[in-house]
Amino acid sequence: MNRHAGVSIGIFIVLLIIWELAAQRMSQLVLPSPMIILETLWLHLTSGYFLPHIGITISEVLLGLLLGGLFGLTAGIVMGESVFFRKVLTPYLIASQAVPKLALAPLFILWFGFGMTSKVVITALVCFFPILENTMTGLKYSNKQQLDLFRMLGANKWQILFQLKIPAGIPAIIAGFRVGVVLALVGAVVGEFIGGSEGLGAVIIASQGMMDTPLMFSSLILLTALGMMLYQTVNLIENKYFAKYIRRQR
Amino acid sequence: MGFLEIQNVRFSYGQQRNIIDHVSWQIEKGEFHCLLGRSGCGKTTLLKLAAGLLQGEDGQIMINNKKVTKPSNEYGFVFQSPTLLEWKTAIENVLLPIKLKRKIKEQDQLEANNLLAQVGLAEHIHKFPSELSGGQQSRVAIARALIHKPIILFLDEPFAALDAITREELQHDLLQLCKEQETTVLFITHDISEAVFLADRIAVMDRGKIIFDTIINLERPRLEHTRYSVSFNTYSKKIRDVLGSKHI
Repeated sequence: MNRHAGVSIGIFIVLLIIWELAAQRMSQLVLPSPMIILETLWLHLTSGYFLPHIGITISEVLLGLLLGGLFGLTAGIVMGESVFFRKVLTPYLIASQAVPKLALAPLFILWFGFGMTSKVVITALVCFFPILENTMTGLKYSNKQQLDLFRMLGANKWQILFQLKIPAGIPAIIAGFRVGVVLALVGAVVGEFIGGSEGLGAVIIASQGMMDTPLMFSSLILLTALGMMLYQTVNLIENKYFAKYIRRQR
Repeated sequence: MGFLEIQNVRFSYGQQRNIIDHVSWQIEKGEFHCLLGRSGCGKTTLLKLAAGLLQGEDGQIMINNKKVTKPSNEYGFVFQSPTLLEWKTAIENVLLPIKLKRKIKEQDQLEANNLLAQVGLAEHIHKFPSELSGGQQSRVAIARALIHKPIILFLDEPFAALDAITREELQHDLLQLCKEQETTVLFITHDISEAVFLADRIAVMDRGKIIFDTIINLERPRLEHTRYSVSFNTYSKKIRDVLGSKHI
């Protein structure tokens, strides 16, 4: 484990050195050096400039995730359980995925305004699908013998769902959330690109306008850190609350 | 009339006609019967029919004078693999049949503890299935099948995947538990000596039919030395001849 961490950090340092060397040969407008970016980042963090933007982006991601997760989970369970709904809804589902969702962003801004609502809707839409898909497959994880066992024990449909299929599907459902979380961040940032003046996506667009490349890089670093944190949070929740569901036999 | 009464049952699956071909069988209360046969002879199908997991085309199955139409939690069933829920500890797995029926009481906890102790898992009750060996998992599965005191117990080659020594230990434990609870048992296996050791009566199946049956008149309780007695070997040889006669 430690050796892996060491190599990881080593690669990071090498990349930084290459970056620094490259930056020395280029205009700051194209590629600012790591030190300058770090200074900008620190400056704006301490001045409080970044804070509201970070807050907005996190709120959008979390609200979108909540909305998309709730819908994805429910629809996944309904479609996983009922052949009727699965067959009826699948074409619509595929259509909703075939539409480049991010291309819908301008429309949503038209409908829901420049505020947070439109971004939350985009975010929800983007992370809805992996969660639905994984929930649906997750429900099929319970094997035939376990189902026979529950039938043998006279369990009803709800008991089979809540005490067998959902617990057995938790590893898959969490994997869906892990993908969903990262996509949610993409959704929120793209929403901010298109409309609005708040959020880290909006900061990136603004810095482009001001030709402030170090600011753009600082925002990118913040977004990357945010994405990694969200991803790790899912892992933490998984290890803390769902560890026993992740143990699989053999 | 027997406690379990299989009357002229027939079953087909898709293209395969008559996987079970007009079979009749009966088990008296408290008896231990083994159904023996090669893979694919239909013995598991017959067991599932008897337990109500499958529905036959002709004939009927009665348990305790009631017609079997669907599975019931009055019956116990042990599957080929232990089929434990990976996210539940040993004791939670054992308590599952009760939990699906009603709230778990103090009394049930004690009962489960007892059963697990009887199968030698007293120190492992809070372990997860992934932390148990194959034999230990099978023991949990047996304890689970007995927790709600089933009137009849169905076992589908439960020890097939275990090593010979563990299998012998489990056979021994199973006999003891079933004797204590006076359970009626239908046990499926392809292992001749397992069948002879366990059963009061053996039926041999081939291509959906029962082609031979015999009472096993060995001393009770069956002990380790029973396996090496002359009469044990005589029974084994007789059954081996029946199984092999058509194919060699």
